[in-house]
Amino acid sequence: MAVVEYKGKTFEVDEDGFLANLDQWGPEWVEYVKDLEGIKELTEDHWKVINMLQDYYKKNGIAPMVRILSKVTGFKLKYIYELFPSGPGKGACKMAGLPKPTGCV
Amino acid sequence: MAERITDIGPPHYSKFLPPIIKDNYGKWASHEILEPGVLKHTAESGAEIYSVRVGSPRIITTLFARDICALADKYCGGYLRFTSRHNIEFLVTDKAQLEPLKAELKKAGLPIGGTGHSVTNIVHTQGWIHCHTPAIDASGIVKAVMDDLFEYFGSHKLPAQVRISLACCLNMCGAVHCSDIAICGVHRTPPKIMHEKLRHLCEIPTTIASCPTGAIRPHPDKNLKSVIVNEPRCMYCGNCYTMCPALPCFDSEKGGVALLVGGKVSNAKSPPAFSRLAVPYIPNNPPRWPETVAAIRKILIKYAEGANKWERVGEWIERIGWEKFFEVCDIPFTFQHIDDYKFQAYDTYRTSMHFKF
Repeated sequence: MAVVEYKGKTFEVDEDGFLANLDQWGPEWVEYVKDLEGIKELTEDHWKVINMLQDYYKKNGIAPMVRILSKVTGFKLKYIYELFPSGPGKGACKMAGLPKPTGCV
Repeated sequence: MAERITDIGPPHYSKFLPPIIKDNYGKWASHEILEPGVLKHTAESGAEIYSVRVGSPRIITTLFARDICALADKYCGGYLRFTSRHNIEFLVTDKAQLEPLKAELKKAGLPIGGTGHSVTNIVHTQGWIHCHTPAIDASGIVKAVMDDLFEYFGSHKLPAQVRISLACCLNMCGAVHCSDIAICGVHRTPPKIMHEKLRHLCEIPTTIASCPTGAIRPHPDKNLKSVIVNEPRCMYCGNCYTMCPALPCFDSEKGGVALLVGGKVSNAKSPPAFSRLAVPYIPNNPPRWPETVAAIRKILIKYAEGANKWERVGEWIERIGWEKFFEVCDIPFTFQHIDDYKFQAYDTYRTSMHFKF
């Protein structure tokens, strides 16, 4: 398990760069992933997606389906890709500190 | 993102058609199989094209790809194609090139065949080369089986074509559920639960919902945030591991091969059919899997002896009856053969007095 240090914080990550210990999530993690993902600046819309993912995960124990994410935030999938170039799974969920998507992806 | 090109799709196939196929597209009159592995198509215009089919191991190196490209350049004007069972077809327009091409293929060790009533290539999956859920290897077993059945690849000795497929777990990527003979990887142990890691790696509700028998439920200790498996209910499908990396279920001693028979996809004579369980378990025995190879050969030989011309494996079994199939192939009938999955299982029981002793 690799360990990343960023702005004085340490994060355990897996080989795809997802948090291996979800308790370590913090604003510094978002900063760190932002650079990896090639996002120039975090806007309010980015945070709207991240907060929605976290709320949904806390409440339901799963990441929302893409259509639910779209419906609740009001962002079409195209716009979500503009915000997070690697998409809602690899981009947004990683940033929000959710477990890595599984299944035949 | 600046220079990114996206959503352009595959190149149009017409760019890679030999001129003779382009000219006669949709205007073919007839075809014949000249010999095992060699087809001749005749167009309405009288134009002829020969395809020489050779086996491929599916997983190939770029060097191999370059070698077949060189052959296509030399004999086929640079044209070749892959079939839906991963055979390679060299498309020859000039009849004079046919014999030299065949001679060079033979020299290169590329087996010509896979047409007509043969055992053609085995559709298979990733196995231990690349996947994380397999119970068996793919390439290794395929190599062992095709080595054993090689005589049937380049000949037309069988009553009908026999399609063999392999899937390394019962996700069944490929065609095992609809093949004459199918090799499928099965586990025989319930998943091991990594309680401490589970909540960081998995969505618990998704994991619970992935179980077809409802054997998984939340851990009674609320602080643990994990799951427990009701082992008598678990049939070791491995679905929960697909959803949750903290539930590994591969056991090198217990995983192994199941053989299924009698499936088909064509509508010729009889409707398409699913393949059904013939041998519930054969141990993994790398690198040559001799027990698996022997079991497949036995089924194939008995089929070749017993079936009428044009009869697929499933049609042969339906005609003689499953009890006869188990008898002639000398396969012990066990409780694993009896379907017990939900309501549909009832339809697979015998509700008649018609049977053979």
